[in-house]
Amino acid sequence: MQLRTFIAKDMKSALASVRAEMGPEAVIVGSERAKGGGVLLRAALEEPETTPFEDEIGTPVNDVDADFRDAMISRLRDKSDSKPGRRRFDRSELLGSFARHRLPDALGHALAEASAKTSVSDMTLALAAAIDARMKSAPIDFASAKAFLLLGPNGAGKTAVAAKLGAHAKLAGRKVTLIAADVVGAGAVARLNAFAEHLDAAVATADSAYALANLTGDAVALGTFAVIDTAGFDPRQPRIAAVYAALAKIEAVEPLGVLSALTDAEEIAEMAAALAHIGVGRLIVTAVDLARRAGALAAAAMTPDVGLAHITRSPFVAGGLETLTPLALSRLLAESEQESAQ
Amino acid sequence: MTLKSLRPRLTAVGSGKGGTGKTFVALALAQAFADLGERVLICDADLGLANVTVQLGAASGGDLPSWLAGRIVLTDAIAHVALAPHAGFDLLSAPAGSGALADSDAETGERLAAMLKRAAAYDRVLIDLGAGVGAATMTLAAHADDTLVLATPDPASLTDAYAFAKLMVKRTGGRPPSIVVNMAGSAGEARRTAESLIRSAQSFLKVTPDYLGYIPDDPRVTEAVRRQTMPCVLYPQSPAVAAIGVLAGALGGQIGNLKIVPSLR
Repeated sequence: MQLRTFIAKDMKSALASVRAEMGPEAVIVGSERAKGGGVLLRAALEEPETTPFEDEIGTPVNDVDADFRDAMISRLRDKSDSKPGRRRFDRSELLGSFARHRLPDALGHALAEASAKTSVSDMTLALAAAIDARMKSAPIDFASAKAFLLLGPNGAGKTAVAAKLGAHAKLAGRKVTLIAADVVGAGAVARLNAFAEHLDAAVATADSAYALANLTGDAVALGTFAVIDTAGFDPRQPRIAAVYAALAKIEAVEPLGVLSALTDAEEIAEMAAALAHIGVGRLIVTAVDLARRAGALAAAAMTPDVGLAHITRSPFVAGGLETLTPLALSRLLAESEQESAQ
Repeated sequence: MTLKSLRPRLTAVGSGKGGTGKTFVALALAQAFADLGERVLICDADLGLANVTVQLGAASGGDLPSWLAGRIVLTDAIAHVALAPHAGFDLLSAPAGSGALADSDAETGERLAAMLKRAAAYDRVLIDLGAGVGAATMTLAAHADDTLVLATPDPASLTDAYAFAKLMVKRTGGRPPSIVVNMAGSAGEARRTAESLIRSAQSFLKVTPDYLGYIPDDPRVTEAVRRQTMPCVLYPQSPAVAAIGVLAGALGGQIGNLKIVPSLR
């Protein structure tokens, strides 16, 4: 392929140069405004040619895959091969697993009941179907997201989530502003600044709801993705929650709940419900890598009327935001640790 | 039981042109997948001039030529890499500067691909393809489950990435590599670079490659490479490291039984 770049004062003369020098077969593959005015056109032309490897082409590349497919079929047919992970549905076994994971009792019984009703024989799949009916996956679309207000208790990981949201937005090609509404917490602004520097993002601080509304309004008007980090609070305390409920009503701001998987399952369920009460429509659950019991994660993921946006499994920004599927959650809950490790 | 338990997923990183950061991207992806809990082997398939070992600052890179010749088993041919606090992975390479496999042909590529697909002790094999579009390189590219072609905003890298895509499309009967733009000055520049490549492929090859994402130009990457270590160790929160993490997610990194669904594209 021949690739050439043309710079001209306008599109018309640039196209004329392309046609004159590369002929009518040339294809325009890129254009942009040139630095210092004018346009820059990139054109490509494919010459008829024979590649030196032409005669080697035609070797099928699937032989090895076919070998493995045959191996798999033969293993599936061999009934003596009792691989773990294909367990038949058993209600008491499932309730036992739930107890080990400290799932809230009411949720556990409801899930076991719903799993039984699916009449799927495989335990993991039956539970996945039951979870699917209760869990709303609501991942963030970073191309169109405007502003998020992060709400949750102390230590849930709001500042790290702010950095992760910023990194994802940056990679989606957005400009990012991190806004610290937590101007009292020790080191809160400093941490946000450190993250922002790595992300090449702007940082602003807001010490009043009025300042916050202004900052967010400006960012949204410019198409900048804004993340507002707040001080931690207990959403179950009505008087404090009312303050954050007011912030959540700022135009174009979506309140996003941040809860840690290390919380007790009953506590996280209460907090998630309280967050829903002040307008939170979706959650991010953090520290999933550190929790040995999945009860809290499951309780948060299945909070009525609240979607699960993402989970995080690493304190590093590069660990990113992940999406949890019902099947993955089902495996965590239904299979014992030894099985999951395989 | 899934296919995953029977054979590893092969992810190849190629570019056509040299100097696009293939080795860095392949290594950083290997580390990212390892951090996601996968059992990872990185194979330095720059069969002429292996340099993954050098870039890692590792003492030994294993003995790919002897394994390929059937003289030793895989467990004896690999070297383990562990960069605290990150998860470890294994490295399979020819001794640096040996040029032991310099004249490798399509047959060598076929043999290596078949052997790597049988490396059932791993969830994922990262293949750092050699520069250029030689027969062994393109054979490996065609065999991989995910093939990435790295381009940079440099026009010469575009034509070479196109040549890579063209040969791969021919070999696979129509499957193009996925595009990753490295050393991009901005998201816009990365997108324009990918678009030029996609339009060329659409016009001349009648296929539409995926654009998987970009890695920002980051002086910290260069510094880490010079210091023979990985940016994720020196600068865990740099944009390039974050970009690699997202890329690993987009390639369907798995943690144990948890499937990560990429949340952005």
